[in-house]
Amino acid sequence: MAIDRLTGEHSLAFIRSEQLFDYARRNSLWYMAFGIACCAIEGLMSASGPRFDFDRMGVFFRASPRQADVMIVAGTVNKKMAETVALLYDQMPEPKWVVAMGACASTGGPFREYPNVVLGVDKIVPVDVYIPGCPPRPESVQYGFIQLQEKIKQQTEERLAARSHSD
Amino acid sequence: MTDPRDIVSGVGMLSEGTHFVGEPPAGIRRVPTGVDGLSTEHLVINMGPQHPSTHGVLRLLIEVDGEEVVAVEVTLGYLHRGIEKLAEHRRYDQLGTLMDRGDYVSGMHGEQAVALAVERLMEIEIPRKAAWIRTMVAELTRIASHLVWFGTFGLDTGAMGQFLYAMRDREAAVEILEAISGARMMFNYIRPGGVVDDLPAGIDQKILAFCDGFETYLDEHHALLGGNEIFQGRVRGIGVIDRDTALAFALTGPNLRASGLGFDLRRDRPYDAYPELEFDIPVGTTGDSWDRYMVRMEEMRQANRMVRQCIEGMPDGDFKAKVPRVLRPPEGEIYAATESSRGETGVHIVSDGSDTPYRFHYRSGSLHAMQALEEILPGHLLADVVMIVGSTDVMLGEVDR
Amino acid sequence: MRPDPTAISSLLSSAGVDAEVEGTTLGTVFRVALVDALAALIVLREGGHDFRMLADMLGTDTGDGIEITYHLRSFSRDEEVYVKTSLAYDGELPSVWTAFPSALMPEREIAELLGLTLAGHPNPRRLFTTDGIDPLLRKRVPIRTLEEVRDR
Repeated sequence: MAIDRLTGEHSLAFIRSEQLFDYARRNSLWYMAFGIACCAIEGLMSASGPRFDFDRMGVFFRASPRQADVMIVAGTVNKKMAETVALLYDQMPEPKWVVAMGACASTGGPFREYPNVVLGVDKIVPVDVYIPGCPPRPESVQYGFIQLQEKIKQQTEERLAARSHSD
Repeated sequence: MTDPRDIVSGVGMLSEGTHFVGEPPAGIRRVPTGVDGLSTEHLVINMGPQHPSTHGVLRLLIEVDGEEVVAVEVTLGYLHRGIEKLAEHRRYDQLGTLMDRGDYVSGMHGEQAVALAVERLMEIEIPRKAAWIRTMVAELTRIASHLVWFGTFGLDTGAMGQFLYAMRDREAAVEILEAISGARMMFNYIRPGGVVDDLPAGIDQKILAFCDGFETYLDEHHALLGGNEIFQGRVRGIGVIDRDTALAFALTGPNLRASGLGFDLRRDRPYDAYPELEFDIPVGTTGDSWDRYMVRMEEMRQANRMVRQCIEGMPDGDFKAKVPRVLRPPEGEIYAATESSRGETGVHIVSDGSDTPYRFHYRSGSLHAMQALEEILPGHLLADVVMIVGSTDVMLGEVDR
Repeated sequence: MRPDPTAISSLLSSAGVDAEVEGTTLGTVFRVALVDALAALIVLREGGHDFRMLADMLGTDTGDGIEITYHLRSFSRDEEVYVKTSLAYDGELPSVWTAFPSALMPEREIAELLGLTLAGHPNPRRLFTTDGIDPLLRKRVPIRTLEEVRDR
């Protein structure tokens, strides 16, 4: 930050371009409209509804994985679905993040004993944030997104620090 | 795991032009072969499991000739998570949790079906108040569920506004259900023998206020979406399911009633407090998407009316019967069904006298609606596929179980 | 709602189908042999009782075979009957879709989850699971144990 000589305000900011990109990224986390099961009603539909309104955080749904930054895995993933989840993850452009929403996506949840169910989506794709609950309330999902933003910020700082250290 | 290419190559069957081999029974239309004699190459389009308007993880393989659908194959199982198998390892009072996650938008109806089945098998009489509370929460759930359908059905046509209004009203209904049961979606409130807890103090006023507001809001919703000419143009005369087809594919609930057969389990197989309530059953005439829309809109109005009657006539007394801590129904079989938002939600329990069911079967309205899709979609334009799937209000959690 | 069992038994026997009548907690149940199942369903549909809807269908692993239950409903007379038949493990289930198209998907489900093969079905492939998965509703197929779940 720099103080402008004429106005005395913090009007100029000297940051690295990487920090600027990540500032933009973490404030426009567009998620893919991919509701598998019950959590989709809470995490995707109520979330974009008027009460919880994730738009104000820059969290908005996109219909195609090609335009999405975040995949919310909202529901039980079974062996037939696993392949599709991996395929959709591969179709998303970098950088990308995965939120495992609810007990089923985290560990298998109430259906963990059934042999057809995958015990957590982290067996298939790397997960950044786990949200507990069955289903989690939309507030939990909101908190999960705030944590994801923190994580992105922290990762950038760490990366920059590592680079300046090596210079 | 199968290779997805194998699934697509299995579509060869579709190209041969017939989904039905042999002579189809009366009332079943054949898949049309070719359009106006033009020899165009057929194209197979994959829709789903990730598609913004398949209402879950439905996958359709659609064979099109130009823009006209020639054949459709429904691929299911992307949400198969073994409710029937796991129920064999759960105690009877734990079955409600599984049923909640079956039809996750109208959980109360599934719980009610389990409770009715166990009560009929064990010959438990539930107190009058328990029956009335159950009926009231079931109807509130119906409103919440139909509002989800209303919002997403509009999204299928490309409209966005009604989704926001529907979610606003759904939040109000869900808030009441949360105050009663403690959860927004997975209630686990209705148990064999009654309900878990009494109504909280002061909830009557809240519910009456909701009913008053919802009556006017419903008119607004209908004016917003149903009064739209574009919407009407896209649903009127589209996706006609006539009475014979509806019967042949065992459609139930609003989809059956839109086809002109007024069968409603609430009236024809009465359970809980429905015999004591006054309500009308909307019935369609032609069975097109518009009729299904109108039937569901009217059902919301009737549900609202029933919720009001329940609050006004709520009897005093216990909210649960005296039932043993571990339920052990006698040996035997029972089938109990409730009129859910998507049709007949039935539970077929085979009991061997122990504390877990020997066999638990979940009959869902959506699975049967799904079969009818394969029959009714051919002959429509590709753009109408989304509309027709939306109008039947299928819920994939209930289809795959 | 429960029909007159004698009238229906005589209807079935006039079509050459031997049926045992049982009045259980479930309702009126007719037990027929596997070869007669389709004939029995057609008679119930076409004969005067007008059972037009196959409302539900399920298979049960009884311990010595698979028992199939058909749940039929008549709207004009407001009656419901159940038709039961049984077959051996790994047996062949004749499809009834020509009489009741609503059996198309439930039959596929029963066949894959109970390890049967379908005869006369237009699309006898798996419905829910992928290849190589055991028939999960069989009693011999266990669910995951607590240890397996814990060390996921």
